[in-house]
Amino acid sequence: MRDRQPGGRLSGMKRCTVVGRPNVGKTLLVLSLAEHLKARTVDVTFMDPSGAKQVRTYTVSAAIRELVGPRPHQTRCLQSIVVEVPAGKGRKVVELVDTTGLVDHIHEDLQIRRAMAQTLQAIRPAQIIVHVVDASTAGRDGSGPPAGAIDRQIADFAGSRGGYFIVANKMDLPDAARGLARLQRMFSGCAVLPVSAAERTGLREVKRHVLRSL
Amino acid sequence: MLAFEPRDPNLVLAGLEEGRLSPVEALEVLKHSVELGQAGPAGGQRLEEPSSSSAWRLKEALADLDSLIGLDKVKALVREIVAYVKIQQIRAARQLTCEPLALHMIFSGNPGTGKTTCARLFGKIFREMGVLEKGHLVERERADLVGEYIGHTAQKTREQIKKALGGILFIDEAYSLARGGEKDFGKESIDTLIRALEDYRDKFIVILAGYRDEMETFIRANPGIRSRFPIHIEFPDYTTDELLRIADLMLKQRDYRLDLAARARLEFILTRRAGPGNDHSGNARLVRNIIERAIRRQALRLVEKPNLSREELMLIRREDITDDFSA
Repeated sequence: MRDRQPGGRLSGMKRCTVVGRPNVGKTLLVLSLAEHLKARTVDVTFMDPSGAKQVRTYTVSAAIRELVGPRPHQTRCLQSIVVEVPAGKGRKVVELVDTTGLVDHIHEDLQIRRAMAQTLQAIRPAQIIVHVVDASTAGRDGSGPPAGAIDRQIADFAGSRGGYFIVANKMDLPDAARGLARLQRMFSGCAVLPVSAAERTGLREVKRHVLRSL
Repeated sequence: MLAFEPRDPNLVLAGLEEGRLSPVEALEVLKHSVELGQAGPAGGQRLEEPSSSSAWRLKEALADLDSLIGLDKVKALVREIVAYVKIQQIRAARQLTCEPLALHMIFSGNPGTGKTTCARLFGKIFREMGVLEKGHLVERERADLVGEYIGHTAQKTREQIKKALGGILFIDEAYSLARGGEKDFGKESIDTLIRALEDYRDKFIVILAGYRDEMETFIRANPGIRSRFPIHIEFPDYTTDELLRIADLMLKQRDYRLDLAARARLEFILTRRAGPGNDHSGNARLVRNIIERAIRRQALRLVEKPNLSREELMLIRREDITDDFSA
């Protein structure tokens, strides 16, 4: 049906899959993390739900320009990037997999439903799952619980395994501090890291958590 | 329970794609299947099997079934069962209540009416649908299940059941288990079997087969069996016309054909021996035996001849057809 192994996986390479609702900043987080790890260019492997694969090389800034957008469901297939993470004296190779955002309801667009199925498929074999949530919407008043049904479900699904943590993104926006506190209360069992992918803050913590899960 | 385990995550993902499941529901089901997959290495393996190929193999098995001659009622019932299993799986994926699938069956009909063939296809179909793990067919009869001294029977029966786990246990002439009255060991075998139906609830499927009248008496005498075998399939006798079509198909598969005189002789034999009321009535096995014999007799007729043409090698003539298997 689909390729289960994003990219040409090297043996022993760990996979770190980034999931969350649409428009919480998953792609920007992946790219800014690559940048934080001193990657100048990234080879992005696009994996269509149909199994077609395409590799393009970008500089990080070009990738951000091309792949990040303000609309939800900017990312509609798996996009993976291989990065090296310094670990002790050596380096470890990690595949960062960016995914299509998951929604609570049944989405009306077939293409997006396919892409979401692909996301779920990518979650299953992942060693590390990074769950991205939007801290600023979580902190806004009158917006109900800080995270929705799908976030609870992801936490439930992945939380029982090692190598799972939450990134509270968009810490640069208003209300985010309050959102972070709410999220930490809601997901009290696991690490919630404050990050602003746009301003490149909190990435060191993310890297540390990824390393610890390897 | 047999009903649905989210044993096949592909089904869940397909549900999400087709807009039958929301991502929230899909994750809920997958959560359980991951636990399941981690239970054993074999389970984990299965999860990774691409669903498209198993969907394809399912289609193939159903096409095989359709290609069988006659058996219209049986085919309709199989479709019904397949649809029922599918819907139960989807219902479970959508978290609707579903009954555990009881798929034990009783096949009644004369010999050579397609019971074993259908059982084998059921094995394939259920494996591809994720109901059975392996889908193999273990064909047994009284002598394999019943022992010679007290206590031997339960042990023997259990052994055969173990072999059938993950597949189908097909017991031919099952009514013979109840033959011989109270003191017969057959009863012990039935009790062991019923016990196993509870113990290995969703691990295997049992099919009891035999002549129609004898099976009816057997089931009536054993209420424990009737309640646990909800599916009854009757295999009617083949008509002479259907038997001839079966013969044509068998020959075509083997690259042979009948000339007109041979066909007439075959029809004559089938009407005489396999017509209603005879001991071979509706028997496709008789057809196969005649055909195989004819192929050997044709070989004998041709073996001394030089310069054989392609046509000659394919043609079965009147003198090749016989229903005398003693020689």
